[in-house]
Amino acid sequence: MAFINLQNVTYKYPLTKTPVLQNINLQVNEGEFIAVVGPNGAGKSTLCYTLAGFVPHFFKGEISGSVEVAGRESSKSTLDEWVRNVGLAFQNPFNQISGAKYTVFEEIAFGLENNGVPREEIKPRVEEALSLTDISDLADRSPYSLSGGQQQRVALTSILVMRPKLLVLDEPTSQMDPIGTREVFGVVRKMAEGGMTVVMVEHKMEWIAQFADRVIALQDGKILLEGKPNELLTSDLLSENGFGISRYTSTAREAKKQGLWKSEKLPVTLDEAAEGFKP
Amino acid sequence: MFDKIKKDFTTMTWVLIPVAIAINIAIGQIVVLLKLPVFLDSIGTVLVGIICGPWAGALTGALANTIWGLFNPDSLPWWPVAFFIGLVAGLCANAGLFKNWWKVILSGFLIALTAAIVSTPISVYLYGGITASGSSFITAYLLQTGQGIWSAVVSTSFLTEPVDKITTAMLAFAIVQGLSKRLVARFPRPENAEVEEGTNRTQLIIALVVVVVVIALGFLVRNMLAG
Amino acid sequence: MHERLSYYVKRDSALHRLNPLTKIILALSIVLVSIVSPWYWTAHILLLLVIVPLSFAGRVSREYFTSAIRLILPAAGFIFLMQAFFQPIGNTVIFKYLFLDVTQESLSFAFRISTRIAVMISAFTLFLLTTHPSELMSDLTRRGLPPQFAYVIISTLQILPQMQAKAQTIIAAQRSRGLDTESTFFKRAGSVVPLVGPLVFGSLVEVEERAIAIEARGFTSKSIKTSLHEIPDSLSDKIIRWVLILLVLLSIALKIWLS
Repeated sequence: MAFINLQNVTYKYPLTKTPVLQNINLQVNEGEFIAVVGPNGAGKSTLCYTLAGFVPHFFKGEISGSVEVAGRESSKSTLDEWVRNVGLAFQNPFNQISGAKYTVFEEIAFGLENNGVPREEIKPRVEEALSLTDISDLADRSPYSLSGGQQQRVALTSILVMRPKLLVLDEPTSQMDPIGTREVFGVVRKMAEGGMTVVMVEHKMEWIAQFADRVIALQDGKILLEGKPNELLTSDLLSENGFGISRYTSTAREAKKQGLWKSEKLPVTLDEAAEGFKP
Repeated sequence: MFDKIKKDFTTMTWVLIPVAIAINIAIGQIVVLLKLPVFLDSIGTVLVGIICGPWAGALTGALANTIWGLFNPDSLPWWPVAFFIGLVAGLCANAGLFKNWWKVILSGFLIALTAAIVSTPISVYLYGGITASGSSFITAYLLQTGQGIWSAVVSTSFLTEPVDKITTAMLAFAIVQGLSKRLVARFPRPENAEVEEGTNRTQLIIALVVVVVVIALGFLVRNMLAG
Repeated sequence: MHERLSYYVKRDSALHRLNPLTKIILALSIVLVSIVSPWYWTAHILLLLVIVPLSFAGRVSREYFTSAIRLILPAAGFIFLMQAFFQPIGNTVIFKYLFLDVTQESLSFAFRISTRIAVMISAFTLFLLTTHPSELMSDLTRRGLPPQFAYVIISTLQILPQMQAKAQTIIAAQRSRGLDTESTFFKRAGSVVPLVGPLVFGSLVEVEERAIAIEARGFTSKSIKTSLHEIPDSLSDKIIRWVLILLVLLSIALKIWLS
């Protein structure tokens, strides 16, 4: 049995006419790292909210089909039960700061306190999470004094510390530099190898290609393509449909037209491109 | 009854309250900066009353005064007034009095009435009628003309409160109408903010014009009294 | 407009080590006794013989005197002037201007009321100087205050300075576009909307995402919440609290008995 099982999921926000998600079918195994790509308005964030239980529990609206995670059915759970299994971090880091805490350390402990984790356990768990995402040096700073990229790491850490079975990330690296992005992808990969299932919306193709197990391409609320990163991300269908593609892919595609790219397969990452351009 | 109140305190409500308190204080300070003859320091409280119900409004008011008391200690003793402003705003909204501009004026008037009644004993017992507010000038004048302390304080409140609270109610109404329907729908009582007749935009313009006129009238009245 | 986020001064002192609830009760008792006591000089005595020594015991005397000059003196002074001029009591006129007269009686009344205000502000200033807001909230939550209150209060304290900074930016921006904050009354009234609009709508739109973020972290969880920090509450704390409550009851009884 798949860990995530979406069957014919169609969803419409309240006060709107057209559904944002249409007949989504998706099966994900435990410990798999799935990347979701798609243009603006494709329904990526709504898919995240659906997996995290906020659709329909928080947003209301009309949903049909079934959403199952870890053997439980979303429509038969409450949101506070659901979030114990599923963690969500999203793009805007500023709005993810709880506001209830003065230091990063306390901020990360917030979720554990809420779930009634005993005090003796909180401290070591927070310390472990801080070192995992490499922000131990920020522990005593005010979350509001941090840069956008640092705040995004704090947001991710505050979710990781709760040890969710499913981690849902909606563009968690949008304000990070390439080094930060690489580190975050590394951490997420590590979590997946430890058995955490990950669904991550991201448009940084070269990192997806290196770290994700599978890619889902969403368009207009439907799954357009699904497959291994290297096959999917170089597909002509993506560039024809207005998806962002890696600059290495587009360069090689141009080069191929002029006969400079010899290999059948197009590259997504710098390494692949460098390899292919070798004389 | 208790369960009904609990329903108004969703996570959206708890997150809105701090923002509303900050709106109270920030607008209050801008108004001081512009040297306008009103306070407008309970717009956030009324806003919470409208979209989250009377008890959430009351809590916002009480907490706003307590927290603002950290910076301006003189506001501390007035928390019951703020509590009732939020409560009455919420009750008015539940009764459908925040659905078009003339009903909003009525709500503003009811809120002013409540504020006048609740503030009077605090003013008399704690300050002997003369508070730190500029309107005490009127009270002092009335006291000198031989009026008793209670009637002097109440008359002052009735002269000053309606202008301030009607403006406050109008601005809170304008803000709710300016928010997207999608966002308002997330709060516990979106039905309180559904506009009755006419289009949103014309009502918004009428509301803003009335606000300016009311401020102007209040200013004239004050000038007359002070002069 | 740039008030400090929190008055708290991190130091090690007897006052800092007291349980937060003990300190609230201490501040409240000082305020209540100064209001209730029938004796004219109570507030003055409390200020000189209780509050000032406490500021030394808490090792925050310097900060206390700074805020006394910056905050307490102006507030109390203003009340003093208002009362002295406007309070229509007494016959021994000292000074007269238009319909306002300052009498011996109104001066003595003004001195009492303004000292009372000074005591009130001082007591809470001392409390805030020696108590961290999150310590206070953890302690009160442990004693049964719904955890949402802790969220609201601390969150307000953090949002407020940001909002004030935003207000400053907006005022500056609107001014540079030729908006009038100085000229005639009608122009000033008209400028409320363009000043307030962006501030208010911007902050309200953030509410939804913040609600999602804290719900994702168990804000509505039905478990009994735990706390990262342990707030000590010793036997001496309990004794101090009962003694203070007794003192307040005593002064109330005295007031009723004498009147």
